[in-house]
Amino acid sequence: MSDVSATMDLRRRDAADKLRGRTRYTIDRYLPGMLHAAVLRATVPSGRIVRLDTSRAARIPGVRAIVTATDAPGMIGIGIADHPLFARDVIRYDGEPLAAVAAVTLAQAQAALAAIEVEIEPLPAILTMADALAPDATLVHPDWRSYEVLLEGGARGGNVAWEATVVRGDVDAAFARPDVEIVESCFRVGRQNHVAFEPRAVVASYEDGRFHIETSTQVPWSIRNATARLLGVPASQVRVTVPPVGGGFGLKFDLAVEPFAALLARASGRPVRLVNSREEEMLTCLFRENADIRIRSAVTREGDIVGREAVVLMDCGAYGGEQIFLTTMTAHTLGGNYKLENVRMVSRAVYTNTTPNGAFRCCNGVYNTFALERHTDEIASRIGMDPLAFRRRNVLGDKDLGATGQVFESNVLGPMLDRMDTLRDATTLPPARSDGRLHGRATTVGTWFVFVGPSAATVNMNADGTVTLVTSGVEIGSGSMMQSLPQIVASTLGIAPEHVIVRAADTDAAGYDVGVGGGRTTVSLGAASLSAAQEVRTKLLKVAADMIEAAPDDLVMRDGRIEIAGAPGSGRTVAEVATRAQTVGGPVSGTGAFTGAGVPAMPGCVAGHFIDAIDIPVFAVHDCEVAVDPETGHVEVLSYRVVQDVGRALNPRAIHGQIQGGVVQGLGYALHEEVTIGDNGRVCQNGFETYRVPLALDVVPVEINLYEGAPSIGPLGTKGAGEVPILNVGAAVACAVANATGKRVQALPLTPPRVLELLLDRKPELTLPHIADKWADNLIRPH
Amino acid sequence: MMSGSPIQDSAVVTHDAPASIYVARSLAGALDALGEYGTAGAPFAGGTWIMRSPIRHQPLKTHYVAIGRLPELTAVRISSDAIEIGATITHAALAAALAGLPEFAGLAAAAGHSANPAIRAMATIGGNLATSEFAAADCVPALLCLDADVEISDRRGREHLSLTDFLKIRSTLAPGRLVTRIILPRTERKTAHVRLPLRRAGDYPVAIVSLSVSLDATSRVQAARIAVGSVEATARRWPRLEAALLGRPLDATAVARTATELTDEFVGRDSVDAPAWYRVSVLPGLVRRAAIAALGS
Amino acid sequence: MGFSLTVNGDRLSCAADPATPLVDILREEMHLTGAKPVCREGFCGACMVLVDGEPTPSCLVPAALADGREIHTVEGLAPHGALNRIQTALEASDAVQCGMCFPGMVVSLTHLLTARPDASRDDIRAALTGNICRCTGYERIVEATLLALATR
Repeated sequence: MSDVSATMDLRRRDAADKLRGRTRYTIDRYLPGMLHAAVLRATVPSGRIVRLDTSRAARIPGVRAIVTATDAPGMIGIGIADHPLFARDVIRYDGEPLAAVAAVTLAQAQAALAAIEVEIEPLPAILTMADALAPDATLVHPDWRSYEVLLEGGARGGNVAWEATVVRGDVDAAFARPDVEIVESCFRVGRQNHVAFEPRAVVASYEDGRFHIETSTQVPWSIRNATARLLGVPASQVRVTVPPVGGGFGLKFDLAVEPFAALLARASGRPVRLVNSREEEMLTCLFRENADIRIRSAVTREGDIVGREAVVLMDCGAYGGEQIFLTTMTAHTLGGNYKLENVRMVSRAVYTNTTPNGAFRCCNGVYNTFALERHTDEIASRIGMDPLAFRRRNVLGDKDLGATGQVFESNVLGPMLDRMDTLRDATTLPPARSDGRLHGRATTVGTWFVFVGPSAATVNMNADGTVTLVTSGVEIGSGSMMQSLPQIVASTLGIAPEHVIVRAADTDAAGYDVGVGGGRTTVSLGAASLSAAQEVRTKLLKVAADMIEAAPDDLVMRDGRIEIAGAPGSGRTVAEVATRAQTVGGPVSGTGAFTGAGVPAMPGCVAGHFIDAIDIPVFAVHDCEVAVDPETGHVEVLSYRVVQDVGRALNPRAIHGQIQGGVVQGLGYALHEEVTIGDNGRVCQNGFETYRVPLALDVVPVEINLYEGAPSIGPLGTKGAGEVPILNVGAAVACAVANATGKRVQALPLTPPRVLELLLDRKPELTLPHIADKWADNLIRPH
Repeated sequence: MMSGSPIQDSAVVTHDAPASIYVARSLAGALDALGEYGTAGAPFAGGTWIMRSPIRHQPLKTHYVAIGRLPELTAVRISSDAIEIGATITHAALAAALAGLPEFAGLAAAAGHSANPAIRAMATIGGNLATSEFAAADCVPALLCLDADVEISDRRGREHLSLTDFLKIRSTLAPGRLVTRIILPRTERKTAHVRLPLRRAGDYPVAIVSLSVSLDATSRVQAARIAVGSVEATARRWPRLEAALLGRPLDATAVARTATELTDEFVGRDSVDAPAWYRVSVLPGLVRRAAIAALGS
Repeated sequence: MGFSLTVNGDRLSCAADPATPLVDILREEMHLTGAKPVCREGFCGACMVLVDGEPTPSCLVPAALADGREIHTVEGLAPHGALNRIQTALEASDAVQCGMCFPGMVVSLTHLLTARPDASRDDIRAALTGNICRCTGYERIVEATLLALATR
């Protein structure tokens, strides 16, 4: 219901101030009387706190408040409440908070940390998932049974924080067929740090008996609710507002530093600023988790996948967090891309004494797509089939069943593969260089989704013809709040997008929202905004109809006017109608709400899942060409192409920007960004010297084709476009490197030492002995 | 519900005095100050290492003597038989000063490609030589194959020693002594510097090969210097490979083959960025590239 | 003892400890929060300022050595609230995402436009070795720089 198109290359309204250094992120907020806080962190991965004495620290000049575990009685988590704010008696990871201090200066706060007397009895630490799953392994959470369960259904036990399974069809029978080849592949990926340029940061104050938390987050409502839970106060006592966020990528999809500042603000009666140092960010990042994956398929010689089984182990670190939810995603990512007859998959979140992991752009999808696509190439090679032909034959099409029995609609991946052929064929390849490097290419597919869920929006019509859009949405850099949302509202009301004022997130002003992430901003917040704007439209048209003496149905809204269709210049300006409406019936506003549609899965085939099917699938096809230096193991990406399913592109230029950026972040994951954990349980990469993100010389311009028209329940047919570009980069690069070198690529990132190791056959192939050979033996709860 | 309690300000306790920085106006003044501070003091040139002390969890010294802008130390003097490089000339300035001198192509490449542009405009050659903890320094191997001498000064005077000898004593250099100049003899030679960062640029190299050769009239190697940096804790020459080059034409493939046979004399260093074996494994390839670059210079 | 700095044309005094990084003085004493302390090691370039006209990571300059120098921060690159040539090009190219790296990018590129008016695409990429962007994948930034160079 709009008379003008919402599609445009609208520029960002926040760009000019960001370019002038005027934008005030959370780290740039300095309030009068503000104190500076710092957090004391454990320096062992596992131990018992024998003594923690803050009395000497309290006497350090300038110190105004110290808080410890006794100040935060609650526990939080996803699925299970296993995570306290401070270590209580037991330390479970290096870096775990023990106490927090607020002082007049940061130096004083740090001096106070040094003066806190801590006595810790070290305990044996579980640093790897193999150790965690060993028989008789020490338990990271000996009291796991006592934790409050927030969502029923997941199997748990020992160091397995959560287990999710999907079983459909008769996999044993499929594997026993005489006409199939059984292909088995093992993969391992490391962690990835988001390296959001703005670290986790907060300024908290305690005013009129309520907490006001100004923070760099993607999820204001989660911060509100989780902070309240940890502090043991009603959630209504916490107000969260969010300035522009300097990079999220999923890092800020969970609570971080907010409760410390809130407690210290209440204790001191003054505003408190707490900003993680870069080293804290590097060591206690809620990383993309490391994972071990085994996948087996039974495939006919004609190229049909008749059976598939997989075990995915995801390291959640010391607390369950996001990985508990992400066990759900394996069914849709590793179980995605291809139609499956018989399938069983188990996905387990495993506790270790390492820093907790979290959410990162296409969580779980990035490495499962790497595993699935490399496995697909190994299948094609085994049966002697062209890998692209194999993909064409098997990709999900109209009415095909996904792993959980969900019915996919429309042929999307097939035509996208055709589109990639056209894109690839249109480029003239650079002349082959005789520089001794090994060249390879690969085309991979990927399946992702939109993390829909509840959103609310209010549109207030102002008498001057502008509107104010009030949501809990946050501008994290992706531009959705600056571009797609105002575009949707503006087109509905026929006004200029600059006339849509976008209110920054404030939980006191806007209704509940799941948060900005999971590709949901344009979809969920967009749908809520659309329906709020439509309500305003209906109300204005009614008033205008009286003013113009025409039927509302004959009126259109465009160019800031409400006029009779086909009679430009007739009617009134939106401002005149809004003014009139305000006089007659009071100010006009509209509200909107959205949540997922709830696509059905096949009953009984999933257990421990948070979502059974994906409401809005999103597909991607990536193509990549690499050159590998056989002397050094350096991989150069020579070209990169993306065909991405976007539903409908409201702002094609903005989407192109997201794809270029997401692909480059994926190149970092595929080639450069490595996280290792030392014997002391500490992350080894503590800064930008050793954690290497792509630089300008390491990247290529991505050739992009937006695939429009696939079905979507998103507003105006949209899908999330900013999250998915990273999805199959690891896969495409790994398959291309495998093709170039003829070696079995089983791990990411493909750093020069790892590639040279492959080329020189320095290491035996990866095996995963902590994954039981028989699939069912990996389950806590039979399925 | 428990609640953190407010803390009233208590008696003032003096806390550690912050580091002092004395900005020297002359070399003599700097040497005096360094002599006076003794072990409590240290020179501060570009600052690109010292200012990163927090990430290494190293405390600052009590006193620094800033020497980065002393005219005596920032000059490059080029004569027909030698080049004298002031110790606080920056990498960028050195690369620019050597631009027209093909015999120093290797050193120019080392100075012109280290770190990133802004760091090259701050970090000094003296700092690069004197920072014994910095194994990946580019200029150290480049200077090793140019037979560099180092001038060290203190209040009482100055002395020269070979760079090789300086590297042996640098971590125990007595307080008050300062690297003031680097002196390079000029001879006809071809030089090259091949560094291997893990990304295309911007990293400290995980291995470096610097090469300098003099060829006779029949293009046979008359003299050769090959230095390896970043592979071990301190850069050093590769005498067996140098010897193997003598009297033959410089053939990149052949040199690399010889290098492969001789890499066992290096014990690589393990670090977060690269394992020991990798640093050693890539050496023959870097030697090959260095030979090609030298021949093209 | 204090230090005296000229920042964006204003002569300012500062009472910080001598080893305090310039970026902290700018942000906390002078309330110029444009420069961002991101890595504090000179790798990321987000705190880049011009010191006597040269792009310099302000995390690596101690107060004592900023004394008497002429400093320009991103806030002072374009007079009267306008955008300078590179800012205009970056804005027009829809290059900005989260924006945290741009204060440093703008400082480095403002300098590049005058210092290397004939810079090629590869020159620009090499010049950005010390300016990291985590959002954009650089392409738009390079394109905008070429655009700015072409519209002088």
